[in-house]
Amino acid sequence: MSVEREFQIAPIVQEAVVHNSRTLLNLQSLTASLFGVGAGILGLESYSGFLFYLVCSLLTAMLFYVVRVAPTSLASGTGTGGGGAFDTSRYFRSQVEFWTGGLMNGLAGFILTWTLFYGLVRA
Amino acid sequence: MAQVPVQTIHRDPQLFYWILLPITAVMILTGVLRHYATVLMASAPKKLDQKTTREQRALLRGINVRGNFHTLAKPSFDVRRDALTTAYESGAYLKSPENRGQAPPNPLSDPSSMEGMMGMMKNQMAMIIPNTLIMSWINAFFSGYVIMKLPFPLTIKFKSMLQAGVATKDMDPRWMSSISWYFLCIFGLQSVFNFLLGSDNAASQMAQQMGGMAPNAGQMFGPGVDPDKQFLAEAENLAVIEHYSVLDGVEQRLLEGIKV
Repeated sequence: MSVEREFQIAPIVQEAVVHNSRTLLNLQSLTASLFGVGAGILGLESYSGFLFYLVCSLLTAMLFYVVRVAPTSLASGTGTGGGGAFDTSRYFRSQVEFWTGGLMNGLAGFILTWTLFYGLVRA
Repeated sequence: MAQVPVQTIHRDPQLFYWILLPITAVMILTGVLRHYATVLMASAPKKLDQKTTREQRALLRGINVRGNFHTLAKPSFDVRRDALTTAYESGAYLKSPENRGQAPPNPLSDPSSMEGMMGMMKNQMAMIIPNTLIMSWINAFFSGYVIMKLPFPLTIKFKSMLQAGVATKDMDPRWMSSISWYFLCIFGLQSVFNFLLGSDNAASQMAQQMGGMAPNAGQMFGPGVDPDKQFLAEAENLAVIEHYSVLDGVEQRLLEGIKV
């Protein structure tokens, strides 16, 4: 069966997709600013700061998956996608966007608060 | 190898209260102001008369029938296609049937199109004017101060950008002046605005530029487009559809889905 017909049988509602990704974006930008506060207060510099950001945002995505996405996805047989664990296709179209989108979306906010609190606390 | 000693600069703590805080507060308040100015300046969509509305809705109906034909049964789709095609080709839905076949009016002479351009101009102005004002304000009051140190090292190329107005040759490019704090605020405050104003705010100029690139939905009925040509094209689109229903073979799919 062609992809087009599959979408016609199980259509994707655009509003729901937008709502889901907007919720994710809000979480990402808010937590990125808070990570910046944390990194600034800890006084992290250069690589360790960016590493802190990488680990923390991956951890956020992981928690988001465990708390919000996984229970319903696993209960319903992971929606339309066929994957096992770590499959977010029930709520998000792109897996990459879910797991690493926060890195790009929150980076500017992270650097702003990191600089601010580093400047206030250390330098 | 000798270690390069870390530069330390003793700065007056008052710099924080008199430079950092005002710039940040002004940036946040400008974002809020820009959001509400955009909300207030947004002109309500103009009321269209009955004929124009009918023309636009008829075209939209054709597009919707074309897009969702798979949910219709074969006879009902055929009836709809026949009715729409006949009406399109006879020009029954046109606003002014006597103008058929004439060239569309020049979009620049049409007063309704001027309003659309004015709206775009207003948005551009709401973005440019505050930015220019704030930048010249920072340059006039706060240039020449070193206020903060970046937590990550940068190459020497950034020095002229970050330390504009500070003419010190040997200073580490990590030290930044007030104008670079302004740039950081421009890029980084989006999350603050998300938090304060909701996520579809108009505060950030970044989001506005992104929105400007997306194709405008109102373009379809814009001035200078001949509705008669649109109708004929839509009739052709409807004619070439090869109809099938989404319910074709549904029994088969149902039986496959049942696991005993």
